[in-house]
Amino acid sequence: MRRRVWLWGLAATVALLAGIGYWLHVRSLQASLVREWPAELAGHPPLIRMAVGLARPLYAEHCAACHGANLGGNRAIGAPNLADPVWLYGDGSIGAIENTILYGIRSGHPKGHNVTDMPAEGRTHQLSATEIEDVVDFVLALSRQPHDQAAAERGRKLFYDTGNCFDCHAGDAMGNPDYGSPALLGETWNYGGDRLTLRQSIYSGRHGLCPAWIFKLTPLQIRSLAVYLYVESHPRAGLARQ
Amino acid sequence: MASDDFFDLSKPQVRRSMFFFALGALIGLAVAGYGLFTAQGTRSHSVPPEALALVNGRPILRSDFMTQVQTQFSTPFAQTAAGERRKVLEDMLAEELQVQRGLEIDLPSFDPDVRTALVAGVQLEVTADVLAQQPTKDQLREYYAAHKEKYVSEGVLRMRDLVAKHGAGPGTELEMANVQRAVAALRAGQPLDEVMRRYRLEDSGALMEAGHADTGEIFEFAAKAKLAPPVYAAAATLERGQVSEPIQQGDGAHVIVMLEHRLPVQEDYAAAADQVWTDYKNDAQTRVREANVRYLRSRADILLSVDALALEAQAK
Repeated sequence: MRRRVWLWGLAATVALLAGIGYWLHVRSLQASLVREWPAELAGHPPLIRMAVGLARPLYAEHCAACHGANLGGNRAIGAPNLADPVWLYGDGSIGAIENTILYGIRSGHPKGHNVTDMPAEGRTHQLSATEIEDVVDFVLALSRQPHDQAAAERGRKLFYDTGNCFDCHAGDAMGNPDYGSPALLGETWNYGGDRLTLRQSIYSGRHGLCPAWIFKLTPLQIRSLAVYLYVESHPRAGLARQ
Repeated sequence: MASDDFFDLSKPQVRRSMFFFALGALIGLAVAGYGLFTAQGTRSHSVPPEALALVNGRPILRSDFMTQVQTQFSTPFAQTAAGERRKVLEDMLAEELQVQRGLEIDLPSFDPDVRTALVAGVQLEVTADVLAQQPTKDQLREYYAAHKEKYVSEGVLRMRDLVAKHGAGPGTELEMANVQRAVAALRAGQPLDEVMRRYRLEDSGALMEAGHADTGEIFEFAAKAKLAPPVYAAAATLERGQVSEPIQQGDGAHVIVMLEHRLPVQEDYAAAADQVWTDYKNDAQTRVREANVRYLRSRADILLSVDALALEAQAK
């Protein structure tokens, strides 16, 4: 009888210690995931795997409604594709993605990306309807789509002059990650690159939003999401997914 | 013998009961202590992983530190040197210390800049969710339908406000007869300058630009602000090429000659969509800000003087 009680006690103690050990190990990994400088995470595959595992349900709960279950984005609301390596703000690194998740885009948070909107060039009479058509043709030309060559040439002048487009989208139309202004070369589009959508973008402007998650998610959850989005958008980086 | 009884579960044993009671209490205390000292915002004995430092219990976040380093040196964080990072850390520590000192000496109570910044910050904070919410098309259309009067383009006019001043001609009745003839001549298409000369009419001076009568385009609201109400009321009804009846004013009898009048036009939803979106969001923010102030007032202990009470009563 006495021996059996001892054995049960020993087994329970071992199980308890193993449980505590595992819990401490997980806590330690989670702390490391948050504490590590983002650029150095690539050297820690277990942390990457843990982050991806933690992030998937979080993404489904908090991000998929706008960016789609497959990260493909939603052009109807200008929610960008998160599965490609093109990022509007910052350099697409884990740190930059994390910053955007923390503070949002036009979220009202003072540390968010609140620099500028795409102005409503038509509504504010910066450009006339004809001039908008010319700029649309220029953007179609940039993105190697069918266009009117003469109109595109006029649009090119407007791009650098009256329209002031180059100020945000850059002289080479490659965009500017400080302002969140996209490249116009046709690789990706937030709202769409067809004539009708481009006309609408230039006439009425755009002002996409992303909330600041700093008060809604924990630092661990935000770091995990940043790692997950980096892994999904940079498949060539060779980071383990699962 | 006593040891045998301790492990013999079939018999009650005081020492065994006390032992498990003590063990349970210790485990409970350990769990509670861990929770107490590690809950978010309560850690003070160690730096949480998301922070680089704690200043009197307040964290300096790693993400903020990285952003600050990159901003200050215009270099990706991974490429910055230890010295650069150290400088930024020192600056952030100094900033946090000074912010805390500012709160310690109650800076917001007397510095208007700090008060303004705090108010702006609180308003941004309470409206953050509203800013992030995207209204649906149905909500926007409903808003447009309820506020159609907002989406009317501004009218534009070009006009002359002529006046036959008192004393410039014979007595009042004759003055009016003179102005009536001027109106008839203008309506008959006689040249404006000739009519002005013949019937001694001059520009009233209400619409002037650089010392001359303003014959350029004027927004309706500007004309309304510059003209006497009866004169504007007459002008508002005129179309291009029309001439008003004489309007008696203190300085004489006015005649409005409308050169061009583009009336305000109701914008349809498609044309106004962007402005509808902006107005919808602004209204939503205003509602949230006002609700926040009402909530703050409801939980605040505000004592009003007799004068202030009278003002409040007036406001109601």
